[in-house]
Amino acid sequence: MLKMKRFAILALAVSLLFSCVPAGPDRGDIVLLPVESDPTVTMQVWFKVGAEDDPVGKEGLAYVTGQMLAEAATTKNSYEEILAKLYPMAAGYSIRVDREMTNLSGRCHKETIDDFVPLFRDAFRHPAFDEEDFTRIRSNALNYLENSLRYASDEELGKAALNEFIFEGTRYRHPVIGTVSGLKSITVEDVRNFYTTHYTAENAVPALGGGYDSAMIDGFLGSVANLSKDGEGKQAAPTVGPPKTAEIDGLEVLLVDKPDADASISFGFPIDVLRGDDDFYALWLANSWLGEHRNSASHLYQVIRAKRGLNYGDYSYIEEFPNGGRRSVPPTNVARRQQIFQVWIRTLPNDKAHFALRAAVRELKKLVDYGMTAEDFELTRSFLSKYVLHFAPTTRARLGYAVDDMFYGIDDGHLSRFRRRLETLTLEEVNAAIKKHLQYEKIKIAIVTGEAEAMKNALVNDLPSPIEYATAKPADILEEDEEIAVFPLPVSAEKVRVVSVADIFED
Amino acid sequence: MISLRYALVLALCLAAGPFAVGDESVFPYERHVETLDNGLKVIIVPMDSEGLVSYWSIVRTGSRDEYEPGRSGFAHFFEHMMFRGTDKYPSEEYERLVTTMGADSNAYTTDDLTAYHLAVATEDLPTVIDIESDRFQNLNYSLEAFQTESGAVYGEYRKNRANPFFSLYEKIRETAFTKHTYGHTTMGYERDIKKMPQLFDYSRSFFERYYRPENVIILVAGDLDAKETLATIKRHYGSWSAGYVAPEVQEEPTQEGERRATVHYEGRSLPILWAAYKMDAFDPKDKVRVAADLLADLAFGETSAVYKKLVLDEQVVEFLAADPNMNRDPGLFDIITRVKDPEKVDYVLEEIEQTIAHYRENLADEKRLEGLKSRKKYQFVMGLDTPDNLCSRLARTVAITGGLDAIDHYYETMQQITAEDIKAAAQAYLDVDRRTVATLWGKK
Repeated sequence: MLKMKRFAILALAVSLLFSCVPAGPDRGDIVLLPVESDPTVTMQVWFKVGAEDDPVGKEGLAYVTGQMLAEAATTKNSYEEILAKLYPMAAGYSIRVDREMTNLSGRCHKETIDDFVPLFRDAFRHPAFDEEDFTRIRSNALNYLENSLRYASDEELGKAALNEFIFEGTRYRHPVIGTVSGLKSITVEDVRNFYTTHYTAENAVPALGGGYDSAMIDGFLGSVANLSKDGEGKQAAPTVGPPKTAEIDGLEVLLVDKPDADASISFGFPIDVLRGDDDFYALWLANSWLGEHRNSASHLYQVIRAKRGLNYGDYSYIEEFPNGGRRSVPPTNVARRQQIFQVWIRTLPNDKAHFALRAAVRELKKLVDYGMTAEDFELTRSFLSKYVLHFAPTTRARLGYAVDDMFYGIDDGHLSRFRRRLETLTLEEVNAAIKKHLQYEKIKIAIVTGEAEAMKNALVNDLPSPIEYATAKPADILEEDEEIAVFPLPVSAEKVRVVSVADIFED
Repeated sequence: MISLRYALVLALCLAAGPFAVGDESVFPYERHVETLDNGLKVIIVPMDSEGLVSYWSIVRTGSRDEYEPGRSGFAHFFEHMMFRGTDKYPSEEYERLVTTMGADSNAYTTDDLTAYHLAVATEDLPTVIDIESDRFQNLNYSLEAFQTESGAVYGEYRKNRANPFFSLYEKIRETAFTKHTYGHTTMGYERDIKKMPQLFDYSRSFFERYYRPENVIILVAGDLDAKETLATIKRHYGSWSAGYVAPEVQEEPTQEGERRATVHYEGRSLPILWAAYKMDAFDPKDKVRVAADLLADLAFGETSAVYKKLVLDEQVVEFLAADPNMNRDPGLFDIITRVKDPEKVDYVLEEIEQTIAHYRENLADEKRLEGLKSRKKYQFVMGLDTPDNLCSRLARTVAITGGLDAIDHYYETMQQITAEDIKAAAQAYLDVDRRTVATLWGKK
């Protein structure tokens, strides 16, 4: 984990104002974001624990433990009583467990803060680990894995399959929510032990934002500092290093065989660049041009959707971006020490999948080989300089960014740094970063499909994938289609794995 | 060290700001409303937002307006076509301008409305008004662009159809409504989506009839000068010709007798049970209709007795939710749950029925009712924290009622609701003879 500062500093807004808020002697770390005009208060505690800390065979333990804090009883109140108390305030708290971090976050109106704080504090200080709550939470997690993730969204399934494929052999491999066998083996005693080991004062950083009164700070700090005194048998949490992924051997394919499914494709590879690194900001610009999330200016979107109408959208990423179908701007608090470059080709007919995959890899190749043009560079720079203003419009989002800044050791704020870096960034730097971090010859590809055998045959024989349209298309599109249809995508038979949808995420 | 308790007292002393929930009007910002001569209504809400504004064009047309046979899904398809350019700003140029501004922009379609929204820096607001007014008046796309976009719409259908709720929603709608256009989903039937490429001429007629100033409301919020913004809007939209033609939506006959339906889902899923009761159109001044919103929460929300029994204690369902639809025409009061044990589906329905019977015969708990009123107001105010969140929250009310006054009326009515009104709402709407029950079964 990156070294934490003694006290936190925070950008008041992405407009780049900075202020230092010393926490004072004998206090722990705290992130403070006072916003006088905000009628609400946001409280957050970042715990330095995540799914990578799941013991082998207990995959899902970090997730279930987190839920047992946010959606279960405390020793002071039953879960039913907690719901009843939160109800008139329209206040609440929730937890996001990710690979390396867990964040408990709550928000209330200033008028209700004295009723809200004790409930929020008890959630992480005094969880009851009630057996009935545990049964409910684990059963819901199993239903999500066995039914929803496997069957209800082929796009999310494809992305989870790619993650499993790229990170096999590491503690990044399994879904954050766990595996079927892992979840089934967890007991409430495991949860209690996991909490005792990982939810310690040393592992917790509180964050406070919005219209709070500064007199609240000490109390909030104290509730976190007292964590380690609460239990017995505390032991130092084991250190987990960044995952070491296996070298990718050419193009490797994982086909998820799902009867009657259309095709949903994700492909990518690990990258050695993280938020805060200078190269990251150059790569961000390049990736934005290639595949800005849910943005029709994305180049992949233009090639596959806008010109050819093959699907609903096509995007690329250099950072984790969960639940992409449900949000437009990046989430906070999914900070990781290992990121992947990833392309997401949304659901399309099986007979167009090979073509679309070829089109996307071909565009990636063109970007790597030739770089961006000066015109595209300037347009994307202009776009991003303002687009990032939308990333953190609320106190909650800003607090999330501040916590991530601490994770990555970015003392001047990630969004602030990016906007400043944009001013000096050159086309040469961007194209150098593309050359250094992106490539198109060692890629892992995950495809959810109802025609796995036919897909495998087409891929291993590199069969041409000519495309036909129901309606007329301009000559330049048809000409380019001929090139895409035979674009080399060499996949050897031993590099194609087929897994039944009923078996994936089992262990 | 200052004690936590003391900190809380101090915090409370600072609490009485412009957002205090006890204020007379629950809406915390000033608003400027004007209707232009051509019928275009403009609502401007200045608010402190660090240089950002949100610009929404709300068309009071959605899948409700697809009354002609074989045209389901067309309002949504047409939303896609609105990005295909004009003579002044062809799609590439529109795209370039939106990109240069770094806009967070998108659009969506529902049963009662279609909304187009852009969040930008204040300095770019004049450009937004220019390009938005242009496409609403001068949309001009080619046959090729039209046909290509139909492929993207089919792709959107494809990405959704694996979702069991999508299949069940389609079934419940077509079973509950026999005449009214709420009988089909906003996405439309697959058979109609397949035929969309052939409907180029129809698409022009759709634009001519529905994309008219009397049927559109502009909602703008953020760091802006209201007077200047209004003047710019008038300049750009003033010459837009009126000419809205109302759709011939058929009234749904009164349902007499329960309807049942079953969906056999291709994938694995726990059974999903969906009970939909016929209810009135949204009316912020109607106590019974407003009481229905509170009834949903009191009877089936997470502090209700049946939630405690089914979700927390017995754990026979994964979740339980009730949603009285906010619609322009009479719609549905939905109760939805996912049952963990397939053998318990009937039992769960019986529990839902017993809950309804209880609220039809008994008065709701006064303390819970007051707590709920408080919750609703805090929820509303806390959701207005950015220009985009504000517009997003208000868009449906604005589209259905034609303005913002409904917000004040709604919370005034809600404040007057008594336990008697809750009972009246249960009796008025939760009638077994006017319900449709659909169940989805997955493969084992």
